[in-house]
Amino acid sequence: MDRRKSSGKTTASRASTVEAPPSISVSEAFIVNALCVLGLAFAFWAANTVFSIDLVSHPSLTLFLISIAELPIVILLYSRYRQNPRQCSYLRAVGRGVLGVPVGALLNFLGAIALGAPVKFQYLPKTINWALMMSVFTTVPASCVLGSSWAEWRRIFAQTKPNGSIEYLICLPAHGAVIGAWFGAWPMPLDWERPWQEWPISVSYGTIVGYLVALVASLGFVLACFRSLHIKSE
Amino acid sequence: MSSVSCTKLTLFTVAAVTIQFIGLSIFVFGFFPVKPLLTGHSGSESFRRPTCDVRDVSNHSDASLLPDSLRFLYQEVSEVPPLYDRLVLMVIDGLPAEFVLGKKGQPPSKVFMEAMPYTQSLLANGTAVGYHAIAAAPTVTMPRLKAMVSGAIGGFLDVAFNFNTQAYLEDNLLAQFFKIGWKMVMHGDDTWLKLFPGLFERHDGVTSFFVKDTVQVDQNVSRHLVDELSRDDWNFLILHYLGLDHVGHLGGRNSVLMASKLVEMDEVVKTIHINTLQNLENDQGKTLLVVVSDHGMTENGNHGGSSYEETDSIALFIGPKPHTFHHSSSNPDTIFQVDIAPTLALLFGVPIPKNNIGVLISQMVDSLTDDQKLRALQLNSWQLFRLLQAQLPGLSCRNLLCDTFITNIEPTISECKGREEKLFCCLYVNAATLHDAWKAKVFSRFNGTEGYNSILAAYHEFLSSASEWLSHKATDKPVNLLVLGVAALIISCLILLGLVFFIHKEIPSWETQDHENYMTPWKFDEVFVLFGILTLVISMGSSSMIEEEHYIWNFLTSTINFLFFRKAIQSLDLNKAHDILSSTEEKRNISGCQISSLFLILFTGRILGGWHQGGVNWTNLPDIAKWLEQAGNQYINLIQIASCAMVIILGISILYLVQSKTKVVTVIWFSLLMSGLLVLQHFVKHQDMSIPYNNDENLSIQVFYAVLGITTVAVVLILPWIMPMQTPEICSRKNICMSASVPVEVQNMTRIFVLKDSLYIVGCLYITFWCLLQLLLQQSINAMPVLLLFIQFLASMLTFSSSGSCHKQWVEITALYYLGMAGHFALGNRNFKSLNLPFRSSNVHHYLCIPDVILSESGAVHLCQGHDLSTGYQERKLRRNSQDPSWISLLGTADHKFCSLDCVHNCPAVDEESLVYLECFFSQVSFP
Repeated sequence: MDRRKSSGKTTASRASTVEAPPSISVSEAFIVNALCVLGLAFAFWAANTVFSIDLVSHPSLTLFLISIAELPIVILLYSRYRQNPRQCSYLRAVGRGVLGVPVGALLNFLGAIALGAPVKFQYLPKTINWALMMSVFTTVPASCVLGSSWAEWRRIFAQTKPNGSIEYLICLPAHGAVIGAWFGAWPMPLDWERPWQEWPISVSYGTIVGYLVALVASLGFVLACFRSLHIKSE
Repeated sequence: MSSVSCTKLTLFTVAAVTIQFIGLSIFVFGFFPVKPLLTGHSGSESFRRPTCDVRDVSNHSDASLLPDSLRFLYQEVSEVPPLYDRLVLMVIDGLPAEFVLGKKGQPPSKVFMEAMPYTQSLLANGTAVGYHAIAAAPTVTMPRLKAMVSGAIGGFLDVAFNFNTQAYLEDNLLAQFFKIGWKMVMHGDDTWLKLFPGLFERHDGVTSFFVKDTVQVDQNVSRHLVDELSRDDWNFLILHYLGLDHVGHLGGRNSVLMASKLVEMDEVVKTIHINTLQNLENDQGKTLLVVVSDHGMTENGNHGGSSYEETDSIALFIGPKPHTFHHSSSNPDTIFQVDIAPTLALLFGVPIPKNNIGVLISQMVDSLTDDQKLRALQLNSWQLFRLLQAQLPGLSCRNLLCDTFITNIEPTISECKGREEKLFCCLYVNAATLHDAWKAKVFSRFNGTEGYNSILAAYHEFLSSASEWLSHKATDKPVNLLVLGVAALIISCLILLGLVFFIHKEIPSWETQDHENYMTPWKFDEVFVLFGILTLVISMGSSSMIEEEHYIWNFLTSTINFLFFRKAIQSLDLNKAHDILSSTEEKRNISGCQISSLFLILFTGRILGGWHQGGVNWTNLPDIAKWLEQAGNQYINLIQIASCAMVIILGISILYLVQSKTKVVTVIWFSLLMSGLLVLQHFVKHQDMSIPYNNDENLSIQVFYAVLGITTVAVVLILPWIMPMQTPEICSRKNICMSASVPVEVQNMTRIFVLKDSLYIVGCLYITFWCLLQLLLQQSINAMPVLLLFIQFLASMLTFSSSGSCHKQWVEITALYYLGMAGHFALGNRNFKSLNLPFRSSNVHHYLCIPDVILSESGAVHLCQGHDLSTGYQERKLRRNSQDPSWISLLGTADHKFCSLDCVHNCPAVDEESLVYLECFFSQVSFP
């Protein structure tokens, strides 16, 4: 794994000598991640106290709340670290992020259906809200930062070769959310007859756990990235 | 090219496979030990001393005797008079002894005490004697019934026969009773009928499959009770009550239904016991009531394992009069379940079944004289000794056995130790010697009761040690065999793995040095494939994962296709402005083709996954098959015909992909078309399934089979020899030309290409034929899945061929395997049908007596059809949805008529809510 990562890094750095990748300092990365986590926590708190619902009893509403709470935080934060900040204004990056929501939701929706999510009408709102949340975790930061560059998207999502600290912040949480969601589906067929085994509750829990773990991991990678840059400059 | 030649490689492979087979068979033999069982039935020879000849000559004169005379013969030779005339065996399925007798000297809980007032009073005044009867694992009904009536512990293979019961052929009490002309009646669990077909005068079997019914199963038994008790034409009445076990499965030990069920059982005991008292008064003979349970239950109401809760079954002996038993505290309250058989045999004067390993419960024969008691123990010892002789060929008491009676000399008792043979022999001889001496009145002259007690002790020592050894022999697995088998399996796996690694090391040197991809150690899809296999293996440890295995396969298949998708995107370049070289153009085309075929696979895979819901959890959700069945037969037939036509068209078109169009290919093409048309014609003609086949159609099917058989065989045999005739231009084929650059090897290469081509044709033909055959044989609803599978296969073939060496071959093979498994389940095959799974846990906390409605508090609504349990009942489990009450409807049940809604197990948290559900449920069901 490490070997692959390092080789990917070198090739990518060779390729992108044209323009320096947007960088982000460790403290900034920490603040971004902390705010993301706080947004999630706020969403859960709001759901619990203000609306007195939770993921198990009202999955689609709670998921919608999470997306609504997380979306502005993610868009506003990540748009600050957009690529080519000179050519692309902050507002434009925000607009890209907003555009990324339906696209990502559609992709995640189709993916969930293909992996076996129920297609019945009554599950439709749940699946849509879950896909919205997934898009906030996966595509929205990427569309804020990367825009519509196919090569960049492919490099980060298909090849998993992030380059530079900000790309770690995009790539790892997105992968973490998807992988977490995938693992979250495994308890569903068990015969425990618990309400949280319904689609999409356990999957959402998996998503959130994977996302949080990946946020922490991405901080570590940003730190490592920063260190190596530091050593190089010295 | 390599350090190891091909022959060596083959030899290693063959050796590894052979070792695997040997290891597997050793393991299987070790896991299911086959113990030597004595065949045949005990006869009057069991009342004679075992001889020194191991092969006891059975008494053939017994067989010719009439039942009555046989009974008299037994009475004559046994010297133990039957204590009772009639026997009522009441089996309460799954009743733990703790409910009646308490645990470790403590009385049972207050609820259970109060639930069975009559039984408790019988126990208190000594009329009833209760024991904790330890059942052996597996604690499943059928093996336990066998153990009770034969005294033998079956192997673990018995479980395998639990649902496919065969008649019980080994020696057992029922057969013995039948021989002496007893009339037997059975009401209750139909396992008895399967075990002992034809032995019962009258019977009414109920099935134990239907666990949600806790009331009707027992009413079906009890409704005969009064009538049977008033009759005197039977000697042996078996009542098998299943309700308590069902209550356990529904709500566990502490279910609210449990107390009422115990009350019901107590009523039955009371009825029978009062009847026996009346009979005694009227001089109609003494009746013994034996209340037993086959096994206990865990806290959740499950059983099958060997925990104390599960093995703690009960044995209650209830005689007519209190003074029958001298209730003494010295007697142990724990026996083994197998002890019931010899006790009953001796109480009723029949020979002990041959394979019995149980020991007489001495408290039961207290009313006999000392001589008779010793005689009973002696009979038990003889029987066990005979069994020991069969299982321990080295039992070398020969000289001792052949000795004649030791009469007037002082009996000598030796200290017993040593190996099994010696030990048992010594113990047996001790007891026999003492007994003989007692008979000769040597001992009694000196010290009366002391001598008698020493004989009892000697017999018990022999009996208990022999019984213990025999029961261990029956259930213990030979560990060394198991270890040996596993070791052999591991060794062969290691050899095979070594070979794989060896071959893997060899390949890059001559085939794939140009692909740098090969150098990177692990790729995502490879890791995933390995991980997926591992997960599958682990998931087999969970029963619900096995029940829902189809979802796992679907999930894995879709995931691996997504990974391929991701891989295809990796090389997809959308930047048109980048450069317009032809190679990139071609590459883009290839990955575009890959992506679209992967899309197709994912899409068809999703449809296949939704075609049949199944397993346990989601079996009642609507699926495409149910929806189509609801829509009507004509649509299904249309789809069937269309699928068949599509299969033919696709099959023919993939044959056209072969560049060389020769006569051979045309012939194959024609035979394919013809067989396809035959199937199609069959479908068109035969739309209504209810019309029986006539000869005409049989003929067309036979022609189809003939064409299919001839073509498949002929193509394999002939094609490789004919193909080389016309292959000069074959080298121009795109996908195989990349390595054909060496002109010297052209001759060799063409041969390989020819082989490849013919293999391609054979493969395509076989798959198409397989699809046609499946279309013909499967249900008409499965026509579409067969077509979709065909499409999936073609699409994955396209993907893999266009991707070149992008994926490793083993990954592709695994992906195809996943696809095949998902397809297997998509055709409606399931590891379990929900119908076959009676052991589901749910919690019953509330029991409201709304007519025919049971409300409970867990997660599901259970609907079941009718009382008529003998005709295929249907159970529907609908998941509750808190937001949408109208969701509870009879979705997908158009094919079932709910004649009467007898039990609805419902589980919303609030009772009012459940009524709302039921109301809206009933409003949507129209009763015929």
